[in-house]
Amino acid sequence: MRFAVDTGGTFTDLVVENDDGSCSMFKARTTPEDPVAGVLDALGVAAEAFGMPREDLLSRGGILIHGTTHAINAIITGRTAKTAFITTEGHGDMLVLREGGRADTFNFTQKFPEPYVPRRLTFEVPERIYADGSVIKPLDTDSVLNIIEALKEKQVEAVGVCLLWSIANSDHEEQVAALLEEHLPDVPYTLSHRLNPAIREFRRASSVVVDASLKPMMGRYMRSLEGRLRDAGFNGRTLVLTSQAGVIDAADAAEAPIHIVNSGPSMAPVAGRFFAGQDSGISDAIIADTGGTTYDVSIVRNGRIPTSRETWIGPRYRGIMIGLPWIDVRSVGAGGGSIAWIDSGGLLHVGPQSAGSDPGPVAYGKGGTQPTVTDASLMLGHIDPDFFLGGSMSLDLDAAENAIRTVVAEPLGLDVASASDAIITIATESMVQAINDITVNQGIDPQEVVLVGGGGAAGLNSVRIARRLGCRQLVIPEVGAALSAAGALMSDLKAEYYGAFFATTADFNHEGSQKVLDGLGERCREFAEGPGANSFGSRTEFRVSARYATQVWDIEVPLRGNSLATQADVDGFIEDFHAAHKALFSFSDPASPIEIIGWTAQVSCSFSETPALRLASNEESGEPRSRKTYFGDTGWIESKVFPFGSIEPGVEIKGPAIIENSFTTIVVDPGAIARRKPTGTLVIDV
Amino acid sequence: MNPVKLSLLNHRFEGVAQSMANTLLRTGRSGVLNIARDFSCCITTAEGDLLVANEGLPIHVLSGPDIMARHMVELSTGLKRGDAYLNNSPYHGCSHAADHTILVPVMDDEGRHRFTVLAKAHQADIGNSIPTTYHGSAVDVYEEGALIFPSVKVQENYETNEDFVRMCRMRIRVPDQWWGDFLAALGSARIGEQEITAMANEVGWDTLTEFASEWFDYSERRMIDAVSSLPAGKARRSSTHDHFPGTPEDGILVNVDVEIDPDDARIRVDLTDNMDCLPCGLNLSEACSRTAAMVGIFNSIDHTVPKNAGSFRRLDIRLRENCVVGIPRHPTSTSVATTNVADRVANPVQCAIADIAEGSGMAECGAVIPPAVGVISGISPRDGKPFINQVFLGMTGGAGAPTTDAWVTVGHVGNAGFCSLDSVELDEQRQPLWVRSRKLVPDSEGAGKFKGAPSIAVEFGPVGCDLSVGYVSDGMHNPAKGVREGHQAMGSNQFRLLPDGGREQLEGCAQVTLNDGELILSISCGGGGYGPPQEREPEAVARDVAEGWITPERAEQIYKVRLDANGRPDMEATSRLRSDFAA
Repeated sequence: MRFAVDTGGTFTDLVVENDDGSCSMFKARTTPEDPVAGVLDALGVAAEAFGMPREDLLSRGGILIHGTTHAINAIITGRTAKTAFITTEGHGDMLVLREGGRADTFNFTQKFPEPYVPRRLTFEVPERIYADGSVIKPLDTDSVLNIIEALKEKQVEAVGVCLLWSIANSDHEEQVAALLEEHLPDVPYTLSHRLNPAIREFRRASSVVVDASLKPMMGRYMRSLEGRLRDAGFNGRTLVLTSQAGVIDAADAAEAPIHIVNSGPSMAPVAGRFFAGQDSGISDAIIADTGGTTYDVSIVRNGRIPTSRETWIGPRYRGIMIGLPWIDVRSVGAGGGSIAWIDSGGLLHVGPQSAGSDPGPVAYGKGGTQPTVTDASLMLGHIDPDFFLGGSMSLDLDAAENAIRTVVAEPLGLDVASASDAIITIATESMVQAINDITVNQGIDPQEVVLVGGGGAAGLNSVRIARRLGCRQLVIPEVGAALSAAGALMSDLKAEYYGAFFATTADFNHEGSQKVLDGLGERCREFAEGPGANSFGSRTEFRVSARYATQVWDIEVPLRGNSLATQADVDGFIEDFHAAHKALFSFSDPASPIEIIGWTAQVSCSFSETPALRLASNEESGEPRSRKTYFGDTGWIESKVFPFGSIEPGVEIKGPAIIENSFTTIVVDPGAIARRKPTGTLVIDV
Repeated sequence: MNPVKLSLLNHRFEGVAQSMANTLLRTGRSGVLNIARDFSCCITTAEGDLLVANEGLPIHVLSGPDIMARHMVELSTGLKRGDAYLNNSPYHGCSHAADHTILVPVMDDEGRHRFTVLAKAHQADIGNSIPTTYHGSAVDVYEEGALIFPSVKVQENYETNEDFVRMCRMRIRVPDQWWGDFLAALGSARIGEQEITAMANEVGWDTLTEFASEWFDYSERRMIDAVSSLPAGKARRSSTHDHFPGTPEDGILVNVDVEIDPDDARIRVDLTDNMDCLPCGLNLSEACSRTAAMVGIFNSIDHTVPKNAGSFRRLDIRLRENCVVGIPRHPTSTSVATTNVADRVANPVQCAIADIAEGSGMAECGAVIPPAVGVISGISPRDGKPFINQVFLGMTGGAGAPTTDAWVTVGHVGNAGFCSLDSVELDEQRQPLWVRSRKLVPDSEGAGKFKGAPSIAVEFGPVGCDLSVGYVSDGMHNPAKGVREGHQAMGSNQFRLLPDGGREQLEGCAQVTLNDGELILSISCGGGGYGPPQEREPEAVARDVAEGWITPERAEQIYKVRLDANGRPDMEATSRLRSDFAA
């Protein structure tokens, strides 16, 4: 038996996978002061449903996979450790200056971002290494000792160290580390060449200070989680989700907590990739995960989930740079809670303001007065007010109608239904633009791919989104409402190792390159034989970050054969680089030498042979009902309403129709045709 | 047109401009393109009215694309699908010769011209007489030396004219980089063409044309709303560009007369009371004269008003021919038109608006281009080959705003912070140079209730060779001014640092050769403050001191805040200091 526990802002979701592959979903309230309590509560709810003591349930578990927003919340609210930053003399403003850049040209009401570590906790060490690893100025150890005294005096709780060119010669960083260990033994620290050996000092610096600042609290958290699970009867292995759509041991997460900060959104594409392949046989997909306040978009290309190094917590340029690659996910502020409003020129907007879940949409009756996307869906008859969240919440339709009438319909001279349709139309367009942004950047043609909808609100306008994009098919998995948790159960144990050796195809250094690859390969083997032992098998992949000699930005290209030892290997890589460049940017430059500036080895160890997840109980059944619904093309029209679980495989459902269960509602617009696969997934030809 | 369709089509057009920009950014080769983001993409109507632009450098798009689009129509003998034109002529609507602009007419199936898409990108080199795209001392366009393309057809039936390519390859110092950037700009324009055509196939060409007209009306309504909310008033402001070769001894004095007329919902800017064009590269092109004034205006009003030909209807910008901030006549050089003197137009406009309307406008942003953002060149000892590149190691210049401190890395007013800052490691990997330090300078900010940016000091020099640095740094003698009693910033400066520890003053506009072992110290101009510094929140001043932005002495002398032994504001002493000052 395996458990996946995802601690979200409001609810802690639990998915229990039985040994036969069937699964069940449970929820408990998140307990922000002590999130582990919420984890245990959710397990308690499940135990009750299975009719056994919690201890018995836990004792059957082999693996517990945990996703947590604990780290990212601490960063966002500034509740991390008091952290110092040590860097090269003359470069102490690295975290202030960042890499420049700004958005929102004419908006001068936004504050310039504060550095992650204040200047008063930033220390410069006399030392300098050059690009080729040579020492321009040796490290002044007396200065380091003075800095350590200052750190003691200021009661610093963590230290991040990033020296220029430590990726070419790590001696100075290692010397600082030795002095820290000797003179400041109880304070955790992070070194840039160990955590993130990549060129661009700001990104490395940002990685180390974020990582160090999380170490004290995440260390305590992981020890508490493992200890209390053990006390409650769990004898299995506790794994934690990472930002790279993998899992690592809880103890490793405590050692390098930066790897788990963005674990939440990274899971949907893992599940999306699986369902796209299983249910449509297409290896390129767009995955849209709809929450109450954000719409997260990710993609799968040739069966791979691309990563991005442009990783920010918060808005680009103003947020916090993580500097390590994570799954490329774009978020827009468009969800059920997005607010509709009219500007002074008479134009309708939806978002980016959101009513969130509190007060939430007007219909919740919790004090919201501004109409939202959910209110509009209710007015159109797409959501059944009596069946909302399985009927657990009664809704105030009059208030919602009144808000849409006064705020949107009357100023635009429309009736309430047309105004509601307009709100959905505008919200849909924002989502489409978010998808365009990621597909253009990743070189994907939406017309060649399948759209996978996940999250509770995905079904409301996914047909419209797929039509607008020209996607071939829309896929909504049975577990779509919990796409992330499903992804967690499909994730592999993963580790990535990085190297920063420079090589150019103009004069290729086979020996040096192979040495880097061998070193990384060795670390992967150690991982596969250590933490990865007892898995179903391990897989190691090598990628390089490379660019044309005249370019500044690099792209990642997998190394076929995992080797560059011979000229034939290099020729193969050159060919792949040109092809990858052409796919991404629509041109290649065969005459230009290619420079490799970064090396990555990823080892994955699989824990599950059959990732196919089915809900254990399909409680919904019964005859289709019908209700009045509104669509822009048809006006008011009677739609059949089908319980999701009641649809037999192979039966064609022609739109207009509504398919719903207690987790989600799927709107099948007029002209679209839905079919359920034997796997449980709904596939819609839009 | 129903308002929902209006909103929807606006999203779609904005999406097209965004796709164009994404394409250009991701495919461009030179650093000036993908680090400095010195490019823009926009769409005009067939008549040449600016409809939508990507979010980018403000100095690039507000005016100029309109003029170029009209010239394309007038000068062509008949537009066809598959055509593409190159325009970098400052006499034909381009900002300056370095900004190669690709224009593609978007034609319907009947061969009717419907829209024009433009992709403009600053080039790494344009074949100037010296290895820089900013030739400040060029007496005319001949000395400047760039190839000028006044709307020249470079593609027909989607095929590139190879004659033109050979010309460029013989003249441009980095032909492969240019070729890559040319393909990127062309690709970007073609993406725009494709997406607009796809949209037309869906909704019809006439609907798109109708949209443009209604979108202009909507934008004008938003502008009327924004301008009507300002107080009425007139203000005259001036700003002076430092003396450079070819300018008068006292530099270039720029006068702006600004009038806000809320009843008529108009803003008027008069630039005609200014000196004639000068025998140097600092003159503005018509595009930059107009755009600079508009940047000052749009920095000062509700930032959500759309910037297009509709909102522009409420602006009157008066220029005259043969004026340094007006309409240049051939062969006047405008090599440096997008930065130096253009900033001396935008800055006083936003200050004048602040003078008229408290809570609007901004202080002056710092001047540029310091050596740390100069063009470097030499022969690399690594491979014996020549190199040339613009580096972006440090400029600051942000101005105090009505409710916020400066955005530190604004660069200059016409850039708005879009330029990325180079990674020291990347620069050292790519060129034979090293950066000894890069530090913000304490006590250099324009003091104010909301403070301007501090200066940044960068020390860099060659490794194993000589290094030539070309730059045009204004703001040494005329630093950025404050508004509404805000103070001026520290000015720019530059020195040669000798191996023996000595230093040598350098000119503001120069091409300097550093020997191995020497460094150049580049100090950027800070930004001016908004509002009186003695009204700045004492807590904010205490933070400034704790963070080392200012010294306790400056806190007391300028901000009138005294701190106690723990660095907290001594409120009693502070209010005494402040009331004494007021008396």
